[in-house]
Amino acid sequence: MALLQISEPGQSTKPHEHKFAIGIDLGTTNSLVASVRSGQPDTLPNSSGEHLLPSVVQYTPDAIVVGAVAKKNQIEDPHNTISSIKRLMGRGADDLISQFESLSEVLPFEFAVTDSAVAKIKTVAGDKAAVEVSADILKVLKLRGEQSLGDKLEGAVITVPAYFDDAQRQATKDAATLAGLNVLRLLNEPTAAAVAYGLDTGAEGIVAVYDLGGGTFDISIMQLKKGVFEVLSTGGDSALGGDDFDHAIAEWILKQANINSRNLTASLLRLVLSEACKAKEALSKLEQVEINIQFANDNSWTGLLSRDELSSLIDPLIKKSLMSCRRALRDAGVEKNQILDVVMVGGSTRALRVREQVGQFFETDPRVDIDPDRVVAIGAAIQANALVGNDSDGNLLLMDVLPLSLGIETMGGLAEKIISRNTPIPVSRAQEFTTYKDGQTAMAVHVVQGERELVDDCRSLAKFELRGFPSHVAGAARIRVTFQVDADGLLSVTAKEEVSGVVASVEVKPSYGLQDSEIEEMLKASMAFAGEDKDARSLREQQVEADRVLEAIDSAVADDGDEMLSQDERETIQAARSELMIARHNAVETQQLKEAMAKLEKASAEYVARRMNASVQKSMAGHQVEEFNK
Amino acid sequence: MSNSIFKQNYFEIFSQPVSTELDIDLLKEKNRELQQQVHPDRFANSSDAEKRQAMQITSLVNEAFETLKNSLTRLQYMLTLKGVDMNGETDTAMDGVFLMEQMELREEIANVDSQKNSLDVLDEMALELKARSVNLVSDFESAFNDDALDKGRDIVRKLQFINKAQIEINDKIEQIEDEFI
Repeated sequence: MALLQISEPGQSTKPHEHKFAIGIDLGTTNSLVASVRSGQPDTLPNSSGEHLLPSVVQYTPDAIVVGAVAKKNQIEDPHNTISSIKRLMGRGADDLISQFESLSEVLPFEFAVTDSAVAKIKTVAGDKAAVEVSADILKVLKLRGEQSLGDKLEGAVITVPAYFDDAQRQATKDAATLAGLNVLRLLNEPTAAAVAYGLDTGAEGIVAVYDLGGGTFDISIMQLKKGVFEVLSTGGDSALGGDDFDHAIAEWILKQANINSRNLTASLLRLVLSEACKAKEALSKLEQVEINIQFANDNSWTGLLSRDELSSLIDPLIKKSLMSCRRALRDAGVEKNQILDVVMVGGSTRALRVREQVGQFFETDPRVDIDPDRVVAIGAAIQANALVGNDSDGNLLLMDVLPLSLGIETMGGLAEKIISRNTPIPVSRAQEFTTYKDGQTAMAVHVVQGERELVDDCRSLAKFELRGFPSHVAGAARIRVTFQVDADGLLSVTAKEEVSGVVASVEVKPSYGLQDSEIEEMLKASMAFAGEDKDARSLREQQVEADRVLEAIDSAVADDGDEMLSQDERETIQAARSELMIARHNAVETQQLKEAMAKLEKASAEYVARRMNASVQKSMAGHQVEEFNK
Repeated sequence: MSNSIFKQNYFEIFSQPVSTELDIDLLKEKNRELQQQVHPDRFANSSDAEKRQAMQITSLVNEAFETLKNSLTRLQYMLTLKGVDMNGETDTAMDGVFLMEQMELREEIANVDSQKNSLDVLDEMALELKARSVNLVSDFESAFNDDALDKGRDIVRKLQFINKAQIEINDKIEQIEDEFI
C-alpha cells in the first residue's frame, strides 16, 4: 500500500531491503535475462558463460530442449524444432494464411487444425501454441535468474516491441504467467534501450531509437530529461526484421540455383535459411562471400553473394523502416536536426547497409558503440529493479504511448478511432452508443486496432456483447463504453447504461487471444506448479499481501490519521482492520482472506484518495511559475 | 474529497491560468513533475485498489495534457468550461465565403501532383494555414474574455476546417516523401 506510505519524494519508507527482480528480452532470434546486482546492471550468463539464449525450442517425446542445442538440431529435426516463434505471438490461425503467405512458405513447421482461434504447431510432444513455446523459453531464463541471484524472484519486466498490438502484448503476458513469472511490467524495447543508453551516457535531449531485431522493427522518438524517459512517438512494423533479410537472401539463392521452394524438404529449407543468415553476417566484414549448398547427392550449388547484391536485396526492407521513421518524426513534431543521437539497437543493425541508410536518413552518424544485443535486457533490468523498490533515488520514470490507434467498428465496416496512436498511456476514453431499435436490450461492439479506415484492414481485438440494459425506445438508451489502456499498453473495456445506471455485462471474445479456459488448461499441463499444492500456495501469497496491507494502514493512520480522519471514519477502518487481522490468522480459504482485504480497502478508499491528493498538492504547491521558466 | 484532482479543470491540474496562450514547455515540465507523483509505476508494490486509482489519475492527467497541448482541443475545452459543448452539435451553419475558400483549398491539395517539387507548394500552403490559425486563436482569446461565446464557437469551427486541411497537407507530403525516400 504505497499510497498509504507516502513519504517525501526520494526517501524510502523502510530501511533498505534488497529484492530480486529480472529484466527479460524475449527476442525473435535470441533472448536474454539481466539483473541489477550491487547497483550494476548486467546480463546473466548460463553455466558455460553464454549470455545469449537462442530462442529455439526443440520438442522431443520426452524432453524440451531450449537454446543452442535446439538451434543445432534444427536442420535434422525441422518439424519439432521451433524458431522465430515471436512472429506468431498473438496471431490467429487465419493470419498465417493471409499475412504470412510468403513467410509460411519458407517456415518449415506444420500447423495443426484446431478449434482454437490461435495457431498451433504440430510437434511430437503435441500441438503447441506460440504462447507455450515462448513460455518454455521464459522458464529457462527464469531458472537462470534464480540460480544466478540465489534467491526467489520478486518479478520480471519483459520487453515487447513498441509496435506490438494488444493481442501480441496479451500473448506475451500469458506466456509469462505460464512460465510462473510475476510480470511487473511489459516494457517497450526501444524504451528499455533508451533507459540503458540514457543512464550510461547521461545524455539529455531528444533521441531516436532505431531497433531492428530478428523479426520486429521499432522506431521511438524520446525526450530524456532528469531521469524521465518520455516517448514522444513510436512507429514500426511487427513483422519486419533480420529474418526477412534471410528470407530475401534464401529466395535469391533458390532463384540462382533454379530450385522451386515447394520442391524442397523442410530440412533443406532450414539449411538454405541458415546459409543465408551466415552469408548475411559474413558480409558485415567481407566484400563478398561464397555460398555452397548441397541440395541432393548429385545436386549442389555454389555462388557468390556480394555486398552490393545484398544491398539490392534488403534495400526495399530498409526503405520500409525509414518510412516508419519519417512518420514517427512527424507524429512527435520533431525535426531531424533536433535529434541528439540515433541509438542503434537489435542484432540486425550490424548490417552495414542498415547503418549507412539510417545515417543518411537522419543526416547524422548513428551510435553503434552500445551492444545492440544486450542493451534492451539491461534497460529492462534497471526498470525491474526500480519497480520492486531498490532504486534509492526514485527518479526513474518511463512515460510511454499507445503504438496503434484503437477504434470500434461502425456502420458500413468502417473503423472509428476512439484513441489515436501515440497518445500517452495509461489513457481512458469513453464513447456513448445508443440503440437503433425499440426495445433493444443488447448490442455488439467490435474493437479493432490499426490506422486503416476499413475494419477489415485493421486488427480485430475483441468482440463484446453488451447485455441486460433496460428496454427503451430506439435512441433513448445511452450506453457508455469506457476503454482503458494501462501502462503495459493493454486494453480493458467496461460498459454502463447511463439512463438506468445498469452496468451491462461485457462478454469478451478475444479474436486472436487464448480463452481463459485455454490458458488454464495449459497451466495445468505445464510443470510450473508441479509438486506444489496450488491452494496452499495462493493462501500463503494472500497472507503475505494481508500483512502488507495491515502494516500499511497502521503506519498511515499513525502518520496522519489524526488530521485526515473523523472519529467515525477511524472506527470503520479499525473495524475492518480487526476483521482482516482475524482472517489473516484463522482463514483456511483464500477467498475469505480476499474478502476481508477488499472490505478494508473499501473502508479506507476515501482516506487513500485523500492522502494521494494531499501528496499531489504538496508536490505542486510552493512552486512558482518562474521556477519553470528557467 | 475536497480539492480532488478529479474536480479540478485541466488548467488547474497544471496550475495554469485559463487562456489560449499557454506556455507549452512549461506545461510539459509540469506534466513530468506530476507524473513523477502519480504514475502507476510509482505504485508497483501497492494493492490492486491503489494501482487502479493511480492508473485512473494518470489517465486523467494524460487526457488533460493532451487536450491542452493541442491548440484546437484547448480552445474547445475552454468553451466547455463556459458551458458550450461542441461535440455532437447539429447547428453548424457557417460563413459562406469561408466555406468556399476551404473547399477550393481542399481541391487544390487533392490536385497537387506527386512530384518532388510539389513539396514546396505544400509547405507554403501549410505556412499560410498556420498564420491564419494564429490569427484566429488570438481573435478567440478576446472573444472568450468578452464572453462572446457564439463568436468563439464560430472561430473554433473555422479552426476545425483548417486543422483538417492541415492533416490533408501532411498526408500528401508523407505520401510524396515515401515515394522519394
